[in-house]
Amino acid sequence: MALRDIKPTRSELIALKRRIKLSERGYNILKMKRDGLILEFFKVLQQAKESQGVLMERYTHAMEMIALAETVEGAIGVKAAAFSAAEIPAISVGSKNIMGVVVPEIEASSVRKSVLDRGYAMLGTSAVIDEAAEAFEDLLEAVIEAAEIETTMKRLLDEIESTKRRVNALEFKVIPELTEARDFIKMRLDEMEREELFRLKKIKARSA
Amino acid sequence: MAGISSGLATNYIYACTRMRVRRSRLIPREDYLRMLNMSLPEITRFIGDTYYRSEIDELATSFSGINLVEVALSWNLAKEYQKILELMPGELKYFTASYLRRWDIQNVVTILRGKMQKMQLGKIKEVLVPAGRLDKVTLDRLLTEESPERVVEALRGEQIYPILERELPGAMETGSFARLENELYKSYYAQLIADAQAGIKGGKMFQKYILLEIDIRNIQNLFRLRAGHVREDVRELMIPGGSFPVEELQQFLVLEDRDEFIDALKKQVDALPLLNALEAIRGKERLREIEVALIRVQLDQMERMSKRYPFSVLPVLVYLEEKKYEVANLRALARGKEANLPGERLRDYLVM
Repeated sequence: MALRDIKPTRSELIALKRRIKLSERGYNILKMKRDGLILEFFKVLQQAKESQGVLMERYTHAMEMIALAETVEGAIGVKAAAFSAAEIPAISVGSKNIMGVVVPEIEASSVRKSVLDRGYAMLGTSAVIDEAAEAFEDLLEAVIEAAEIETTMKRLLDEIESTKRRVNALEFKVIPELTEARDFIKMRLDEMEREELFRLKKIKARSA
Repeated sequence: MAGISSGLATNYIYACTRMRVRRSRLIPREDYLRMLNMSLPEITRFIGDTYYRSEIDELATSFSGINLVEVALSWNLAKEYQKILELMPGELKYFTASYLRRWDIQNVVTILRGKMQKMQLGKIKEVLVPAGRLDKVTLDRLLTEESPERVVEALRGEQIYPILERELPGAMETGSFARLENELYKSYYAQLIADAQAGIKGGKMFQKYILLEIDIRNIQNLFRLRAGHVREDVRELMIPGGSFPVEELQQFLVLEDRDEFIDALKKQVDALPLLNALEAIRGKERLREIEVALIRVQLDQMERMSKRYPFSVLPVLVYLEEKKYEVANLRALARGKEANLPGERLRDYLVM
């Protein structure tokens, strides 16, 4: 806001003071929100680290189990058992609110199945297929959990970034400019008051 | 010589002795332990130096690596089983052929699944083991059929046809061959019992083995179902005709405590090796370990029975089973090495 565009009037001064007050209040609230989001982010970060660890562990286990299943049952046997799955896991995505940030809440059904519901023949397969299926069910659960946590983390990061930008804009641009404008109007008004007083004195002296 | 027609006695002795000789040539435990520390090419070379040489040499131009090992092992198994069938005299041939029909089920189900999943014919053919009644030519003919329905139609007249005809529509509708496969295996065991009880000499010994196999298979499945926390009605999944009635197996399944379950099983078992194995299983958590322990008991029991009846079908069945596990072990070793699995881990999965 260029100073030359400002009308040095009392009403403008009042409006500016109101805007400064509002900006300062907004600045404080946004600063608190940013700090809160950072705290929340670190909590989620810890969860993400844990879920990444679990995910990697389960992935390694699942790959080992599928390799073992292939050693015992052969590639076609494993593939046949996998294709037998009658019920595919369903995923529903809801949402929850963390300090104004909408994050996903993923719920999955039919991830864990009993041996009977997996669809392959008990009499034509061996226990390695059960172990491999169970390992992949565990992995899928970990993937779903990791997906929820990582999306939450990403959304929180985006929100922290934009809040930080707003706080900085208020702190280094909006509030200083408004303050400068207020000071300018104050100075102009004072000057105008002094001019008025001087003019009145002059008139009084001429008339006396 | 219990259960042998007198006129064929010499032939029986000859056949059973041949089986014993072949058994002595199977790869010993020490060699498996050595192979656990070998790489895949070393294993291939090791296998190539044994009686798998002709298959390895024959297939080396078409396959390499793990595929060479797998296909060579399957070919050798099929060839060996067919040779044994030719070698068997009289009733031994009847029981052996009857026993080998399980490979027909495996082959037919593989073809049906392959057709359903639209897999390449070559890929399906690689895993077929023509060791049963359906020979290579018949299996090749089935492979060229367009759809699973046509495959089943081409099997009209075979023992498995009625089950296939009854179960295929359901399997096609649901996309799952589980029920079809279970029913095929149940009818296979029912047929084995019927063959054993048909009044043919030697049937009693054959039936003893069938009962043992059914019991072990049912116990393995009970452990699998318990591990999967299944407490529902599973009578459909149990093979009838064993020492335990299906209802009793269902009762075992609903027992909450694992130790209680093992104790209940032990109360119904007479064979000492199985009792010992069940006690050893108490401390085992992994399903495959339990499965291997039970397979080991089955093989040990078979061996004992074959010593008690040295000129019956039992020495033949012992050899057939041990040969099957030899091929499975070699395949597991080769595949495991290809997947870079540690030797220690692979060891648990071998039946030694």
